[in-house]
This record gives sequence, structure tokens and C-alpha cells, in this order.
Amino acid sequence: MRILRRLCLVAPMLALAALPARAEERLVIAGRDAAFGDALSRMVEAYQARNPGLRIERLELPGGALYERIAVNARERTKALDVLMLDDIWAPEFMANGWLANLDTLGGVPGDFVGPADAVSRGANGQRLAAPMVGNVAMFAYRADLFRAAGLPAPTTFTAVAAAARTLRERDPGITPIAFRGVRGNPIVTGFMPVLGAFGGAVVDAQGRAALDSPAALAALEYFLSLKPYLPRGVETWNATEVREAMEQGRVAIALEFWPGWAGTLDDAARSRVVGQVTLVAPPGERSGPAPMLGAWLLGVAADSPNAARAADFIRFVVSAENQKRIALETGNPPTLAALYNDPELVQRFRWYPAQLAALQAAQPRPRITQWNRVEAILGEQLQIALVGQATPAEALREANRQIQRALAR
Amino acid sequence: MRASTRLLVVLLAPSLVLFALLTLYPLLRVLLLAFTDSDYGFEGADFVGLANFAELAEGRGFRRAAWNTVAFAVMATVGEVVLGLALALLLDRAFRGRRLVTLVLLAPYVLSTIVVGAIWRAWFHYDVGFLNTALRGVGLPGVPWLFDPVLALPSIALADLWQATPFCFLILYAGLRSIPPDLHEAARIDGAGTWARFRDITLPLLWPYILIAGLMRTLDSFKLFDKVYAMTGGGPGNATETLSMFVQRLAFRFFDIGMASAAALVMVVVAGGLAAIYARQLMRPPA
Amino acid sequence: MDRPAGPWRIAGGIVAAAIFALPLLWMLGTSFKPPGEYAAASASLWPRHPTLMHYEAVAGARVGRAVVNSLIVTAGTTLLALLAAYPAAYALARLRFPRRLDLVFLVFVLLVKLTPPIVLAVPLYQVLRVLGLLDTLPGLVLAQQIYALPFAIWMLLGFIRDVPVALEEAARMDGARLPRILWEILVPVTAAGLAATAVLVAIAAWNEFLFAFLFLQSPSNFTLPTFIATRINEDETLWGQLSAIGVLASLPVLALIGVVHRALSRGFAGGTTG
Repeated sequence: MRILRRLCLVAPMLALAALPARAEERLVIAGRDAAFGDALSRMVEAYQARNPGLRIERLELPGGALYERIAVNARERTKALDVLMLDDIWAPEFMANGWLANLDTLGGVPGDFVGPADAVSRGANGQRLAAPMVGNVAMFAYRADLFRAAGLPAPTTFTAVAAAARTLRERDPGITPIAFRGVRGNPIVTGFMPVLGAFGGAVVDAQGRAALDSPAALAALEYFLSLKPYLPRGVETWNATEVREAMEQGRVAIALEFWPGWAGTLDDAARSRVVGQVTLVAPPGERSGPAPMLGAWLLGVAADSPNAARAADFIRFVVSAENQKRIALETGNPPTLAALYNDPELVQRFRWYPAQLAALQAAQPRPRITQWNRVEAILGEQLQIALVGQATPAEALREANRQIQRALAR
Repeated sequence: MRASTRLLVVLLAPSLVLFALLTLYPLLRVLLLAFTDSDYGFEGADFVGLANFAELAEGRGFRRAAWNTVAFAVMATVGEVVLGLALALLLDRAFRGRRLVTLVLLAPYVLSTIVVGAIWRAWFHYDVGFLNTALRGVGLPGVPWLFDPVLALPSIALADLWQATPFCFLILYAGLRSIPPDLHEAARIDGAGTWARFRDITLPLLWPYILIAGLMRTLDSFKLFDKVYAMTGGGPGNATETLSMFVQRLAFRFFDIGMASAAALVMVVVAGGLAAIYARQLMRPPA
Repeated sequence: MDRPAGPWRIAGGIVAAAIFALPLLWMLGTSFKPPGEYAAASASLWPRHPTLMHYEAVAGARVGRAVVNSLIVTAGTTLLALLAAYPAAYALARLRFPRRLDLVFLVFVLLVKLTPPIVLAVPLYQVLRVLGLLDTLPGLVLAQQIYALPFAIWMLLGFIRDVPVALEEAARMDGARLPRILWEILVPVTAAGLAATAVLVAIAAWNEFLFAFLFLQSPSNFTLPTFIATRINEDETLWGQLSAIGVLASLPVLALIGVVHRALSRGFAGGTTG
């Protein structure tokens, strides 16, 4: 009994102890984990050092979970989040729903951002609803040294990629010819998109209808699955970390999609075994030419943020030239300010910057539809189902198309 | 109102209010929204009749999730009851340290399912996980525990086996101890062997306990969410997607509240049926 | 009373216990291993060069906040469940219900306890939002009543039934009113049962994940299981930290294992896992 009475006393005291935290100024930042999260963490630390009175809280999540958190909070106007980090493909939905505050009215964000990254950050009337933080564009990476040794030319078509994989496997059974991110959802879709585009297929056609039941899409998926013998065991669980490390450790010869954000440590002798040997180029074509895909990460202020002015100030801090450069040097995340790609110190460090800027300027955003998140989840599931052999490519595409059609109609 | 009735109402009021708010009203919402196309609540909801259920029946996702849930429940429940029974029979003899052994066996059961999921996710890791490392140590190849579409669900069941077998063990252990030793003695004197005594005495008398433990585990497995979330997220493909995950994604990621409610309604009906069997078993006067 | 066990049986019991303890020992060991050791695919359970770095890293990641939150939710859930369940259990044990409504109520309570949580989570989200309790600890305490309350009613019912009616009758003769009878006579007599119920409810509340995961949004409100879930991310190398938090989250419930043992041995079909 005494225990119970004591509990009665202790519980309210604990509750009280939790209260005072609410009084101070607080900034809640919902952002990514892994490499992007690392970059954001460094900015948080620097900003905290400047503003010691501020209490900053971080939410560090993988892409899918981050979307879920932000969307739920925005819909319910919970006022729980201030700064949001978002994938450029979420932007149309967030903007259409009024989930992002207008940064122009919060003091604006100065800076000359690279065209496509800037475009996806603006609303229908050109107002600034977000600021691009990471200027990623999907590249294609291969081991130039292995290709040279095998007498292989630089691959410009996906057919040539498959042929190269075969040759590389024959020359050295120890190496895994090809890797990509096979985790279901966004990662596998991102890996598949360049292939789909090169084969002339699309997820959604120009009229906004589901378009995966096309022969082009089937050809693309059949090609994608034909790579299976050249993929690492368990590619279904491979995510950014795995692809990146395998490339760095020299275990993999080709990465179908390789983000500049991962490349920062490729030439770092302390970490990498392939210094100077990996070449980053725009992805191959097939029936149509290569179409580099934009993969920017943006920062926005939640429309219901109770601390919007402070949140906007943090965003200006992160995307400033000084800090973008710092992020690039320390983490390898690609900047979004055009001028930084000509910065001598950065170019010396990242030899592929000129090619990257060209790809970034020509980059195509993924379909800008408000239902993309659901479409991506559907396609991501069906692609993996096909990859692990639970369904034939035609079945998987049919099911994906059917579900996507329904999602688009809502 | 009679005084005794008033007293009843007063005593039950706190519970009734909580149930009405937290269970009855939510269930009513599920029931109504299941027949609508809604992305939020009742506002803006369109009545669509049985369209949501038709879509559930047509889509592979729901059928697969239902199949996975049932397959998992059967694997986990059978495994846990059989292993729990074996442990109970093993420890049904006195020895020094038996209590300690029992407590150690019980440990996994009190852990958070998320902690259990995290531990086994690490154990199942293909390259550096504990299990594959041990296998390779004795010259065997690594097993693709979590990314083989056939193996992934049994792997999660294995983690569940670790956590919930202790529960079955203790229930059955208590059951074993309720069997009068005289019965065994008498049978032994009559010349019955170990197997005959197990079959004719232990098993029939233990049957109510086996049923309770089995039903309890079935109902619990039917809810499966945490471990899958921590270990595979539903993959590879949708090999480990469960009904709970399916509903969670529809509701909290796609905000397809109508479909989520329809799927939830199907879950309630199935769980309700199982629970009714369980309730009958539990309420039955002891034989 | 039991017949003594032979050596094979004892050995079997010890081996079984060892197998079941292995994953826990692994977690404990990993929480002290430097990253190089657990990434290097070694099957050793114990660290060669023990380090406290993961505990330090976790402490820096505001785990204290999650611990406090978990404590508040656990204490709140347990208190509320006991306060609401005790009078209900008393009524079910002692009073006459018209038309066997007591049985109806009991079956209903049981069905509630067995309903999959995700089913209720979707509409409950709206309930909590309307009440302004979304993303708050009191809101989570309320949501947890769905399972804590039925469980507490069923357990307490058994304990109150065991108390001889004569005890209350004597007090009633002396003119004591019901609240006093409950508080001064019944509660002390059933203290052991109350404590056992409290412990089991508390363990379940401490471990609860789904509602916390869905209803708590601010990182400063996270409970331990949700805090752990946000650490299972793309970077698999955080196992050391994950193990350290796992150890922190597990120690309190492991300390109470004796109570669980006693309760289950008495045949209370529990339900501390989800």
C-alpha cells in the first residue's frame, strides 16, 4: 500500500518536472538521417553555438518515415515541427496543401540557386516556399580502372552496361559487377527511374494517367531484372550506406544510380580503396538519351510553426554560401548555389564538379504530382516483388498500374 | 433508479466513460467510415457502399497481408505452444536452481517488442550478424534470413518464438502442476509407459491450458506490427507485410481513411471471432 | 512434492535457459563493444576492449528525456487504470447486476483487450485531436487505457473475489460507507494483488510502442520504445547505441520479472507483449 501512496506523490512531481522545458524558445527540426542528417547536424551545432538560449530538437529519420511524420503533423496542424527537410518530389503535395509557409514573407532567402533546384522550391506563383539545401542529381558511377583493364569503353547505353557486367564477372568472379539501392519504396524506384526513362517509359503520362502498362515499361523492367545475376546477394536490403561502402571498398564495379552526396569520400584515402578510380557521369540512355534525375532536398518552414521567424533564420543560415561550402567540404553533400561549383577549393577537392553542375542544370524533376508519395510506395513495392520473384514483371507492372490509377483518381 | 443500480452506475462510471470514448466511439467510426471514400474523417466523406471491400478483395496487397498474418500466427503459435510444452515437461521435476532457470527463461517475455526487434535485426544481419557469423564459424554458408522472400516471415516468427515461448511455458507449467500426481502413480502401477501416461493423462488434463495459451498467442500474433516494423518494414517485396502494417500505411501514410477503416473492420471481425472462442474457453467453469 | 530431476533433465534446463539468455547477453555485450568489434563479424558475446562510448553517446542524445517521458506515461497509465478498474472490479465481484449484465460487461472487456490496436488507432487519432491531447503524454496515458483497463479489471476481479465478504459486512454494520470500506478495508487486504496488477500494467505501458509511435510527434515527447525506433535507421552501424538504449529500457522490466512469474504461474493469461 505504501508503494501505491508513494506513487501517487511521485507521479505528479515527475509531470511537473517535465513542464518547465516548454517555457524556453524551442526549434524542432525534422530531417533526414545518414549523410544528409550528418550535414544537418553540423549546421544545428553551429547554429546552437550562435544561439545558446535556443533549445533545438532534432528528428532524424529515413526518407519514408520522415514523410509520414511531416505529413501527419501538417494535416493535423499539431504545431509540433518548425523546420522541415523535404525531398523535392514531396514539394508539389506540400505546396498544394498549404503545408509550407511563404519564406518571402519571412524575410526571404537570398542566393543564386541552380535552376532546377530553385524551380522545385517555388510555388505556383513563383513564391519561395522552400530553399534547396542539397543539390543532388542522379549520376552513374563506374570503376574506370576496371573498365580500362577489360578493354571496355565508357558505357553510354544500358545494353552496354549489361554487357560490361558480364565481361567484368568473367574476368574477376570476386567482384560484384552492379549495385543499386534495392530497399522497397523510394530507393528501388529511384534506381529504376533512369532505366524506365531511357527505355522510353514513364510512370505517369503527359495527361496525368498511369502509364506503366506500356511495352516500354515492361522492356525496362525486364532489363532491370536481367541484371539480377550481377547484383550483390541481398540487394533487396541495400540502401545508401551499402552502395556507398561497397563502392568505396572496391567490391562493386558499377552503381546504376550514384548520388554526388555519396561521392565526397571516394577520393579520401583514409576511407576509400579506390581513390581516383571511380568515374561519375550522367546515366546511360537506351531508346532515348540520358535524362539525369533531380534529387534535391529542400528546407521549408511548417505553415503551422509557432516559431516561423526563427525557423526561416535557421534556413538562411544553412543555405548561405559560407555554410554550403562548409557542408560540401566536411560531408561531401553537393551545394545548391551555382557559384560554389566554380569555387577553386571545392573543384580541387571534387574533380567531377563541372560535370555535376552540367547534369544538375539539365536535371529533370520526377513527375510533379501531388500523389507521388503514394505512387512511389506502390511502384516500390511491386518492383521489389518482381525483383525477389514473387510475381512476373508483367504481373507486377499491371498491379502497380492498377493501384496507381486508383491513387491518381483520389 | 434503485439505490443498488445507482451504486452500480457510480462504480462502473469511470470504466464506462473510458470504454465509450476509447473503444465504442472509435469502433463506430471505423464501422461507418469503412463504407466511405474519405481522406480525413466524416467531413468530405463520400458514401461508396462496398467499393472499399471490393478493392481490398481485388488488390494483391491486402490478400497477401492477410495470408502473411495467418501464416505467421500459425507458425508462431504452434511453435510456441509445442516448445513451451517441451520446456514445461522438462522442468516438471525438482532440482536446485529451477527457479533461477525459470526466471531466465521468462526474461525475453517482459522485454519491449521494439527492443526484441532491434536485437534480432542485428542477429539476422547477412554479413555481420551473430547467427551468420556463428554459421560461418563452423563452415556453413550464411543464411539470407531477412531478405529471402520465403525465409523472412519464418525469421520474424523465430524472434517471436524467442519472446513468447516463455509465456506458453509458464501457463503450461502451471497446468502441469495442477495434475494430481496420484493419477500418474496409479497409471504407473497399472503398467502404463511414459508415452501412454502422457497421451492418456497429461495431454487431456492439460488441454484447457494448451487451448488458452494457443488462443492467447494467436490473438497476439494477429496484431503483429512492432517486430516487422523494426526488422523488415514489411519487405522483401511484401513478404512480411501484415494486416496491421497494411492498415497503418493506408491510414497514416496515404490518408486513405475509408480503405483503412474497411481493412480494419475485416480485422475486427476476425479478431472478434477468435476472441469469442477464447472468451467461451475462459468463462467455462473449471471441469 | 515434485519428483527429483535426473542429471539429463537438469542439463537440459540449463542449456535451454542459456539459449534463451543468449540474445540478451549479446545486447549487453554489444553495448560495451567499440564499433570495430561488432562490425567485424565476430561471434564473441563479450567485448575485448570494453567501452562506455555508446552510453555516453546515448546520454548526449537526450535519452534522459525519453526515460522521464516513459516514467510519466507508465506511472500515469498505471494509476489511472487502477483507479478506474478497482471500483468496476468491486462492482463485478460483489453487486448483483440486472439480467446478467455483469457477464456481458466482462465479455465486452475481454473483447476490447483482444482488439488489434491498429484498428482503434485510426479513429483514436481523431478523438485525441479533438480533445487537444495529440502529441501529449496525457493523451498517450489515455490511449493506453484501452488495454490497461480491461487487464486491470480482470486481474483485480480475481483478487477481490478471494476476499471474504464477512470482512466488509462487519464494517458496514459499524456504519461505514462504501468509499471508506473500499479504501480502508478492501484495498489493504488486496494490496498484494494491487501491486501485482500495477506491476503488470506498468510493464506493458513501459513497453508500448504502436500508440506512442503514432500519437507522439515531438522528439521531446518520445518514450523509450519510440526513441529506439528512430535509431533503427539506414545506418546499421549504430548497433552499439541501440544496444545501450535497449539495456536501459530492459533493466527496469527485468528487475520486476519475479512478479510476472508469480502472476503467470497463478494462471493469469497475461498480455504484456503486443
